[in-house]
Amino acid sequence: MSLVQIRGLKKHFDTVRAVDGVDLDIDEGEFLVILGPSGCGKTTLMRMIAGLEKPTAGAISIGGADVTALPPRMRGVSMVFQSYALYPHMNVFNNIAFPLRAQRREKKLDKRAIREKVVNTAGALEIDMLLDRRPRQLSGGQRQRVAIARAMVTQPAVLLLDEPLSNLDAKLRANARDELKDFQRSSNITAVFVTHDQIEAMGLGDRIVVMSEGKIQQIGSPQHIYDDPANEFVATFLGSPSMNMLSVDGHRMGFRPEHFLPKTLNDKPDNSRVFHYYVKRVEYLGSDRLIYGYIQGHDHALTLAKVPSNVRAALDVEGDYQFAVHNNDIKYFDKRTGLRIQPVKAH
Amino acid sequence: MPSLRHPFDNQRLVGTLFLAPALLYIVLIVGFPFLLAIAFGFSDVTVGNTELNFVGLRNFEAVWDNAIFRQVFETTIRFTLISQVFILLFANILAIIFTQDFTGKWFARFIFILPWATPVSLAMIGWLWMLDTKYSPIDYLLLQTGFLGRGGILSDDRNLFWLASPDLAQISVIFVQVWRMTPLATVILMAGLSSIPTDILDQAEVDGSRFMRTLLLIKLPLILPIMVIALLFSMITMFGDMTVVYVLTRGGPVDYTRVLGLYSFQVGIEGGNLAQGAAISLFAFPLLLAMAIFMLRTASRAEVR
Repeated sequence: MSLVQIRGLKKHFDTVRAVDGVDLDIDEGEFLVILGPSGCGKTTLMRMIAGLEKPTAGAISIGGADVTALPPRMRGVSMVFQSYALYPHMNVFNNIAFPLRAQRREKKLDKRAIREKVVNTAGALEIDMLLDRRPRQLSGGQRQRVAIARAMVTQPAVLLLDEPLSNLDAKLRANARDELKDFQRSSNITAVFVTHDQIEAMGLGDRIVVMSEGKIQQIGSPQHIYDDPANEFVATFLGSPSMNMLSVDGHRMGFRPEHFLPKTLNDKPDNSRVFHYYVKRVEYLGSDRLIYGYIQGHDHALTLAKVPSNVRAALDVEGDYQFAVHNNDIKYFDKRTGLRIQPVKAH
Repeated sequence: MPSLRHPFDNQRLVGTLFLAPALLYIVLIVGFPFLLAIAFGFSDVTVGNTELNFVGLRNFEAVWDNAIFRQVFETTIRFTLISQVFILLFANILAIIFTQDFTGKWFARFIFILPWATPVSLAMIGWLWMLDTKYSPIDYLLLQTGFLGRGGILSDDRNLFWLASPDLAQISVIFVQVWRMTPLATVILMAGLSSIPTDILDQAEVDGSRFMRTLLLIKLPLILPIMVIALLFSMITMFGDMTVVYVLTRGGPVDYTRVLGLYSFQVGIEGGNLAQGAAISLFAFPLLLAMAIFMLRTASRAEVR
C-alpha cells in the first residue's frame, strides 16, 4: 500500500477551484515532483497534505491513517518553504531544535537527545559549523540546508518541499538540485517537491505529476511524460522550446523542434513525414541552431526546428527547404478534448 | 535645453517644497516653544514682568528643593510605569484577538479605537460623570447589586468616592490613562503582528508548535522592536500629559494625583511664575531623552532583518 493516499481531494476558494478532484498515491521512499504553471493548484495540494489548508472535499491518509481532519503536528510531515521561513531571531541550532522542542512530549525527548539529534542532522547536511549563526548571516545555499535540516530532524514520514530552489541563483541551483537528490536517496525519505520549473522536475523526480487548473493531467516518469504526453497541455508544457502544434484534417498534430530536421538527415525516409519549410529567422545558440519558419499550408503557425550545431547543412534565411519528422515522433490529439489519439494516416 | 524644463523637474525645488510643511511644523510647534521654555527656565520671567533676565540655575535649584515638586515627580513616574504595564498587557492581548479571524471583526476594531479617536477633554468629561462622587453610574450599579449601601461588601456607604479618596483617585486616573492609551498601542502591535510573514507562522504550525509556544517564542520576539516603539509613544505621551488629571481631579485629593505637566501648568500659567513653570517641565526632558535613546537602541538591536 502507498504511504500517502489522496482521494477525491478538492479545495475551492469562493468560486475558484484551486484543487478540483485529485487522486494520487505516493510510494514510500520516492521523490515525487508536482509540476505545473503558477495557479495550477500545486501549492494548495501540498498545503493540504501538510494540513495547513482544510480540503473542501476528499480524504488524505498517511501511513494508513486518515489524517484529513488532523492538524499538521499529528501528521508526521515536515515542510520546506520557498522562503525557507527560518526563524530570524533564533540561531541555527535553535531553528533546527524548534520542531523537536515543540514535539518533545509526544516524542519523549530530553535536552540531551535534542542536542544529539540537532548535531547529527546538521552534520549530515554539513552545516554543523554554523550552529551559532543567525539566519541573516548565512548565504542562500546555507539557509536552504538549515531549512532542510529543520524539516528532517524529526524524521518525518513525508518531506514536503515548496519550490525550495527558486531563491538560489542559477549556478547554485544546479548544485543544490544534485545535493538534494543525493540526500533524498541516502536518507530514503519520501519527498514531495512542488515546482513550476520543468528542468528541476525532470532532473529530480522519480515520478512527475503534471497539474493544470486544479486537476492532474498526467503522472509518470520524466521520460514517460516527455515522450508520451497524455494530452496537448502536457505535450506543450514540457519541453523548451515547446512542441510544434499544427491543425491537420480535423485533429491536432504535434512534434518537438528537436525531431524536426532537414530531410537529408533523415535515416527512415519511408517512415517519415516530409514538409516544405520556409526559414524566416535563425538563432545560433551554441549547441544548436534554432530555426523559426513556416510549413507550407500552415502560414499562421510559427514552426520551430532545433538543429544540432554539428549538422553543417546550410539553412539560410528566406530559403525553402525540405524538413522531415519520424512518424514515431508525431503525436496526435483530439481537436476538442486535447486528449491523445491514435496516429492518423497522412492523406 | 534647461529653459524648457518644467520647474517641478528640479528635484531640489520639489524636495524643499515637500519638506517645508514638516519643517515649518517642527520649528513653530516644537522647536520654538522648546527653546522658549529653556530661555524661560534660566530667567526670572513672570506673567506680570515679561523681561528676560538671566538668573542661572536658580529656578532649577528652587524647584528641586521643593517637597511638592519631588512628590509630583515621583507620582508622574509611578503613574507612567504602572499604566505602561497594563497598556502593554492589554494591547498585546487585544492585538492578538484583533488579528484573528472572527465575524464582526471590523466593527469590534472600530468600537475599540474610539477611546483614542475621541478628543481627550471630551472623553474626560464623560469619565468625570462616570466617576462622579454622588451620581456615579458605577456606584449605582454596585448599590443595586448589593456591593454598596448598608451591609454592602465594599462599603456601608452609598458611594465609593472614585475621585475623592486618595487610593481610588490614583487608581481611577491610572485606569482612565490605560483606557485612553491602550488603543494606540494595540494598533501599533497589530501592525507588527500582521507584518510577520505567514510562511513563518505556517512553518511553526508544521513544526508542531501550538498557540502559546508560537506566541511566546515566535510572535512576541518578532514584534519586540515594534512593542518598544509602542511603549515609547505611550510613555512619552503620558509623562507629559496634564489633560486627564486637569479635568478629573485638578491634582487632588491633596496632591495625590498631581503630575508634572499639571504642576508646571499650575505654577507657570495659573500661578503666573512662567520661569519656574518652565523649569519644572524641563526636568522631564533629560529623563525622556535618555529613555527614548535607550529604547530606540534596544529596538534596533532586537531588529533581526
